[in-house]
Amino acid sequence: MRSRTARGFLTVVLVACAFSGAEAQDPRIGNRLDAPTRKALSALVDSAKAQGIPVEPLMEKVYQGLAMGADGPRIVTAVRSLTVEMANAHRALGDVASADELKAAASAVHAGVPPVELGRMKKQSGLRRSLTLPFTVLADIVSRGVPVQTAANAIRALVGAGARDRDISTFQRNVQVDIEKGAQPQAAAETRAKGAVTTPAPKPEKREQE
Amino acid sequence: MQGPDGMESSDAALVARVLHGEVNAYGALVSRYRDKYARYAVHMLGNREDAEEALQDAFTRAYRSLARCEDPERFGAWLFRILVNRCRTSGARRVRRGQTFVHDETALLNASQEHPAEQTMWREEIDRALGELSADQREAFLLKYVEELGYDEMAEITGVGVSALKMRVMRACDRLRILLREVHSG
Amino acid sequence: MADWGRTTLEMIVQELQHPVRLDESFDRRVMVRVRRTYAEHRPRGVAGWIGAAVSLTRRPAYAAALAAGVVAVVTVGMLSSRSQIVATGGPIPVQFVLVAPEARSVAVVGDFNNWGLGDTALVAENHNGVWSVSAPVPAGVHRYAFLVNGKQWVADPTAPRASGDDFGQPSSALVVEGTVE
Repeated sequence: MRSRTARGFLTVVLVACAFSGAEAQDPRIGNRLDAPTRKALSALVDSAKAQGIPVEPLMEKVYQGLAMGADGPRIVTAVRSLTVEMANAHRALGDVASADELKAAASAVHAGVPPVELGRMKKQSGLRRSLTLPFTVLADIVSRGVPVQTAANAIRALVGAGARDRDISTFQRNVQVDIEKGAQPQAAAETRAKGAVTTPAPKPEKREQE
Repeated sequence: MQGPDGMESSDAALVARVLHGEVNAYGALVSRYRDKYARYAVHMLGNREDAEEALQDAFTRAYRSLARCEDPERFGAWLFRILVNRCRTSGARRVRRGQTFVHDETALLNASQEHPAEQTMWREEIDRALGELSADQREAFLLKYVEELGYDEMAEITGVGVSALKMRVMRACDRLRILLREVHSG
Repeated sequence: MADWGRTTLEMIVQELQHPVRLDESFDRRVMVRVRRTYAEHRPRGVAGWIGAAVSLTRRPAYAAALAAGVVAVVTVGMLSSRSQIVATGGPIPVQFVLVAPEARSVAVVGDFNNWGLGDTALVAENHNGVWSVSAPVPAGVHRYAFLVNGKQWVADPTAPRASGDDFGQPSSALVVEGTVE
């Protein structure tokens, strides 16, 4: 499978072609989108580029919509939502956020997490770690009914305590299973977060500084 | 390397991208600091080959430890500290091998092309005199006068106290004065 | 230094401050080393997760789901025993496993393969009702879903839900990422 960088470049090229005239079309889209849909999507992509938002996630949303049998207007709505969510995430996180972080942050925004909360987490964690997975887990537990502030506090506490991605992944699975067994979502998230923060993680090996 | 808005990316933005897996973004940091720090390495080690090796080593070590760069906005200063240490290690290896301080041939070539022979001789004299200094004195002199750092910055980079650094700079100047006056009077 | 003319010191410093230019091959040599370092630390394999995937199917919740004939989905490679920088040039092998004894076909589609458009769907192989397929997935966050019998969209019950407009169908989130620790 192509590297993400190569796919990103190819995406930019194909986006330029995908929504333009018949002579240059993305073979994956083919003739499946009508002219008004293409025009609307093209405008959204241009707007995203102007705002410094990665375009690849928007194309992925188009492919997803086509694969799932959605019509043109439905796809445009979905892409528009994603553009707005990524723009909000970008404003909150700044230029230092990676494309994957923005994509995950947009999921969290969609789930109802205020962008300012995400910005707070990014500032707290600094540049040393990616928040792609923490944002993904945040979106997930909110979608399972954990109140937004409880969820944000839990993730922020985990990140602040130096929890690694695998620990946060374990936290997500534990909360999910607890809720499926009938636990109240807020209680499940608070209890599991407390346990994850107070249980010390094994210390990494000390490496030579330089 | 430009960000999506067309502006040149800051060190912090480039560091973030590298840490997120965009290894190629590190090339922009290499280009940004290559020449700036090559000068120090060449004067400290006395020859271009050793200087390039130390600088390559510094860039590679900086990449490996990038997650531990606490202030990515000051990546350059952090990298420079690594380079200063690499030059110390390289210098120590040269002493053990018994190598003498060799002149920077390229600089001499450039000097001779731009200036008459007298300028080239003057450059040779300076290089030779630098080579006569102890490594500590040469390091302190270069950081203070050539790289124009303040004593606090020098202390942060070298780990040596300000008083000791001032002493080293003073002794370096005294020694250079004697060496170069001897040449002039000779 | 009082009797050493300022002019002499200035002349020395001026001489030493001449720029030293390295040619561009220096950058290439550094990046060769950097990429080698990066490639050496790239995580490989997800063998450790296969055990976790099998044990998950033994949990009461999933056993009940199986008994009801509901597709139980187990996704391997969700996350990280990885603790190194992941290369942009190096996708990570991920095994997708689906226990679906009643299915006639199972495919995996998602952001990493353009949702199966242009015949890119990952077609799983059936081994006594256990469907599996392995594929290299680039580092990043990906939405994906299982497509059973060409028409039923199934999310992974053991993976985080993908949040966002999903056109009324369920999907999951897969994060393939490593950080230097």
